[in-house]
Amino acid sequence: MDTPIIEFKDFSFQYKSQSNPTLHHINLAINRGEKVLILGPSGSGKSTLANCINGLVPFSFDGTITGTCEIAGRATKSASIFALSKVVGTVLQDSDAQFVGLSVGEDIAFALENQSMPRSEMIPKVQKASELVGMQDFLLHVPYELSGGQKQKVALAGVLHEDVDILIFDEPLASLDPNMGMMAVDLIDRIHREQQKTVVIIEHRLEDVLYRHVDRIVLMNEGSIVFDGTPDKLLASDLLRQYGIREPLYIMAMKFAGCTFTGEQSLSDIQTMDLAPFRDKLIKQQQLTLEKYTPQYGDTVLEVSGVSFAYAEKPVLQNISFTIRKGEKVAFVGKNGAGKSTMAKLLCGIIRPREGTIAINGENYLKYSIKELGEKIGYVMQNPNHMLVKDMILDEVKLALTLRGKSPEEINEAVKETLKMCGLYAMRNWPVSAVSYGQRKRVTIASILVLKPEIIILDEPTAGQDYRHYTEIMEFLEELNRNYGVTIVFITHDMHLAIEYTDRALVFAEGQLIADDSVFKVLSNDAVIEKANLKQTSLYTLAKRLGLEPEAYIEHFITYERQMRKHE
Amino acid sequence: MNSPLLNLVPGKTFLHKLTGKTKVRTFLVLLVYIIMSFDIRLLFPLLVASIIGLVSLKPRWKTIKVFFYIAIGMNLINVILYYLARPTCGANWCGGGNTVLFQFTDYFTVSAETIWYLSVRFLKMMTSFIVSMVFILSITPSEMAAGLYSVKVPYKICTVFSLAFRYIPDIARDYENIKVSMQARGVEMDPKKASVMTRLKQNVLILIPLIISSFERVGNISNAMDLRGYGKGKTRTYYSEHEELKADKIFKVIYCALLVFCIYWIISHNIMPQPSKMWHPFS
Repeated sequence: MDTPIIEFKDFSFQYKSQSNPTLHHINLAINRGEKVLILGPSGSGKSTLANCINGLVPFSFDGTITGTCEIAGRATKSASIFALSKVVGTVLQDSDAQFVGLSVGEDIAFALENQSMPRSEMIPKVQKASELVGMQDFLLHVPYELSGGQKQKVALAGVLHEDVDILIFDEPLASLDPNMGMMAVDLIDRIHREQQKTVVIIEHRLEDVLYRHVDRIVLMNEGSIVFDGTPDKLLASDLLRQYGIREPLYIMAMKFAGCTFTGEQSLSDIQTMDLAPFRDKLIKQQQLTLEKYTPQYGDTVLEVSGVSFAYAEKPVLQNISFTIRKGEKVAFVGKNGAGKSTMAKLLCGIIRPREGTIAINGENYLKYSIKELGEKIGYVMQNPNHMLVKDMILDEVKLALTLRGKSPEEINEAVKETLKMCGLYAMRNWPVSAVSYGQRKRVTIASILVLKPEIIILDEPTAGQDYRHYTEIMEFLEELNRNYGVTIVFITHDMHLAIEYTDRALVFAEGQLIADDSVFKVLSNDAVIEKANLKQTSLYTLAKRLGLEPEAYIEHFITYERQMRKHE
Repeated sequence: MNSPLLNLVPGKTFLHKLTGKTKVRTFLVLLVYIIMSFDIRLLFPLLVASIIGLVSLKPRWKTIKVFFYIAIGMNLINVILYYLARPTCGANWCGGGNTVLFQFTDYFTVSAETIWYLSVRFLKMMTSFIVSMVFILSITPSEMAAGLYSVKVPYKICTVFSLAFRYIPDIARDYENIKVSMQARGVEMDPKKASVMTRLKQNVLILIPLIISSFERVGNISNAMDLRGYGKGKTRTYYSEHEELKADKIFKVIYCALLVFCIYWIISHNIMPQPSKMWHPFS
C-alpha cells in the first residue's frame, strides 16, 4: 500500500509579520509517485504550502506552526532546510533569480558545489542531469542568452541530480509563452514518469497544466483546502468559477451550450474525452444566431509603413506595415524575441526605424523627442513596481504633468479627470504601497493616461496574475476603451487575453509581421500558429472534433462570451 | 557571450586556460613583486612579459584602447605633479646626487636623477596596469571566486564576487527600462535640454524603483540558494575550477619561486643598509 511521502495533519501557519494565519488546518496526504496540482487564486496560500514542504517555512520565513507536516517521515518543524533539500527539489517561479551560476553547467552544479563534491564526480552528474532536460548542448552558455523556458529547464536539472523524491514547481508557466509552457508541462510529465518522482505543481493556469495528465487537484482558497480530488470531478463542478479560477475554454463552451456533467465522465483531456453525450447540445448552440459584434472605429491614428530595424547587422524587424485606428484594441502577439517588444520600443521612440516611416495623425514621428512622443503614445511597463516613484497616488499621477511644467490649475483639472476615469479618485491620498497589485497597475495606467495619449501600449498587463486580478485589470481597460475611446495595444503571449479582449491580432515571428487579422481568423490558421509559437486553443480542437468550421466556431464563442459578460 | 572587458565563458588562449587558483595566486605574487621595489632591473622584464601576455590573450584592442589612454594619461599627470611639487625629488631616491641637466628657473631644475626616478615610477605604474589588465582579461568571475577561495578567503565572500557579476547585467537592463519609461513620462535626460543638477535629481526617480525591484530580487536569490543547500558546509568546491594542467604546475613553480625571491628581497632590503633607496646608474 502507498505510504504518504508528504503528510499535513491539522497544519496551520502564521507569518510573523501577519495578524492572521495564512494556512488553516490543512490535512493533506500525497503518496509517493503521485502528480498533484495545487490550484488556487493569488493569496490562497498555495505558495506558502509549497514553502512548508521545501523547508523555506520556517527556515527563511519566520512564523508560528501548529499541527504537523511530515516529509518522508521527517517533521519539517525540526528538520533543517538542507536535510529537506536532499528529499525535495524546488523550481521557483522567478527563473532569472534562481539562476545563480554564471553558466548553465555551473548553475546545475551549484547544489553539488555546496556539498563540496570533487569536480571529477560533479561532471558526470551535471552531464546526466542536463541530458534529462535536454540542455546538454548548452553547458557553456551564459544566462543572458537563454530563454525563460531554457532557464527553467536548467533550474530543474539543478535539483534533479540530487536524487530527490519530490519535485515542486512553483508557478512554472508564469513567464513562458504558450508553446514553451506546453513544452514545460510535457517535460514535467516526462520526468514524473521516467524518474518516478512525486510531483507537486503550484499553478492557477488550469487549462495549460491539464495539457498532460494530472492525478489529483487540490484547490485552495483563503488558506484552506476546498477541494481534493480528480481533475474530472473538479471540471464538472462549479467550484472553479466560485473560487476565481479560469475554466478551460472547451469546458466554458460546453457549459454555455447547457451541457451537464455527472462528475463520472472523463473531461480533462479534450483530445480523448467522449463527446457523444454533448454533441447535440454543442451543435445546437452553434446554430444560435447572435447579434454580430461590429466595433466602431474612428480615423487612423497610427500608420506604420515599411519599417525595418536592426541593432547590429541582423535585422530585428523587417518591412513592417500596419495602421491602427482610433478606439481599436489590438494585440501584438508572438514568441519572445519575435520583435513585438522592439516594435513597441519603436513606437515609443526609444529606438528609431532604419527604414520606413511611422506617422501619428498623419505627422512623421521623427520630429518628436521621447518626451514629446510620451504625450502621443503611452507605454505601461509590465511590472508596476518599475514605474512607481512617488509615495502618494495623487503625486504619482501628477508627475508627468509636473515634469512638463504645466500650470497648477491645468494639472489639477487633468489629474482629477484621470483619477475619476480610473476609479482612483477616492483613493487619491492613499500611499501607493498600501494598495493591491491590481490597483497599483491602475495607478501606472493613470499616470500615463493623464497625458491624454492617442494610444496606450501595455506590456503583458496580466503577467503572473490570477484570473480574478486578470479580469479586474482587463475589465478596467475595456471600460476605458468603451467609455473614453482610448486606443489600446496589448503586447502579450496570453491567447485568452487576445481572444476575449481584442478585436485584432498582429502576429510577429522572426522579425516579420506574419498576420494582421481578427483574432479568431489568426487562431484558426495553423501555419501562423506554428510559426509564431502560439498554441492552438482547445476551442479549435473541440470544433474539429465536432466537425465544425473552427474559424466560425471560435468567432461564435467569442461573440457569445462577450454578450454574457455584458449581461453580468 | 562575453562583454569586451569581462569574460563569462573561459577563453581559448594559453593564459585563459589556467585555473582560477593559478591566476589569482600569480596575480597576488606579481602585485607584491611590483610594489616592493623601484628597481628597473626587476620591473622591466615583468613589463615585457605582461605585454607578451596581453598580446597572447588576443583582446579586442578597440575596446581596451580607451583604458590604455586613461592609464597613460593619469600616470603622466601623476608624474608631472610629482615633478612640480619637488623638481629635485630624484636626489632623495638616488643617494643624494643631483646632476642638473637643464634649468627653467632657479626652482624648476631638471636633473638626471629626477628623470630617472620619474621614468621608473611611470614604468612601474604601467607595469601594474598591464598586469592587472592581463589578469582581468584572462579570468572569469567564477574562476575569480574559486581562486580567492584557494587563498583562504571565506567562500561567502567569494560568492559575493560571482553573484555580483551574475546580476549586474540584469540590474543594468532594469535600469535601462525604467529610464526609458521615466523619459516618456517627461524626465529630460538630454544634456542639451537639462542642466547637470536637474538630471542628477531626476535620476533619483529612476533609482527608487530600481532599488525596490533589486531588493525583491535579492529575496528570491537567497531563497533559491538556501533551497540548494548553500551555506550548509564549511567548505565548498567549484565546478568552474578544472583540474590543474601542466601549465598550472609550471606556473606554480614560477610563482612559488617568485614569492621566495620577494620575501628574500624585502627582508634583505629592510635589514641591510642600502646605498640608495632605488637602483640607479649614477655613481
